[in-house]
Amino acid sequence: MPVPDFSPGETLTAAAMDSVGLWLVKTQAVGTGVSTIVVNDAFSANYDNYFVTYTGGSASATLNLSLRLGTVTTTEYYGNIIYALPNNPSAILGLSNNNSALWGFAGDGSATGGARLAVNLYNPFQVLRTGMSVAYMGTGSSGAPFGIYSGNHNLAISYTSFTIGTSTGTLTGGTVRVYGYRN
Amino acid sequence: MSKPLIQIDDLVREMTDEEHAQYLEDIANAPSFPADPADA
Repeated sequence: MPVPDFSPGETLTAAAMDSVGLWLVKTQAVGTGVSTIVVNDAFSANYDNYFVTYTGGSASATLNLSLRLGTVTTTEYYGNIIYALPNNPSAILGLSNNNSALWGFAGDGSATGGARLAVNLYNPFQVLRTGMSVAYMGTGSSGAPFGIYSGNHNLAISYTSFTIGTSTGTLTGGTVRVYGYRN
Repeated sequence: MSKPLIQIDDLVREMTDEEHAQYLEDIANAPSFPADPADA
């Protein structure tokens, strides 16, 4: 399929719009002082894979943002984060979620650095195991971890929603955005 | 004592007892880095 090349005033056809590779599915503004954010109607049969971001918000403390599919605590969340601190880059470190109730390193927040999350999800709506990959961006500076986190939800369940949690503290403001990758 | 706030789409409210119990369990089991990152 060709790359879209639109002109000013052009009538967009279904074929042209269907060639757009990344589509904004949902935008969710975040309120004040919330500890948990549930985003419904995010996943559907329209897309197999999704990119979820949360930016522009503030955190009350240094925290990790977690991600859970749906809202109910289960087990079977697995993941590894490989990271280093800029002030000690020679030490490559790793941590795991092993059969956890959520993915624990989906994002980061700090009182002075804001809060950020960037997660790719693979097949959350399909009745398949859901894959996850994260670019973990610490919001601090020299002592903040930066790394790569990926994992698997080991249950073949169809989900339409997800939950962002905090390891401590609260979030205020910012926007959660859900994008679907064109199949 | 008020419970933490949960946001469900556009609705922000206090957690129910069940949600609060799950939240406390999540906090208790939250993974963390060995040393707190510098909040610089």
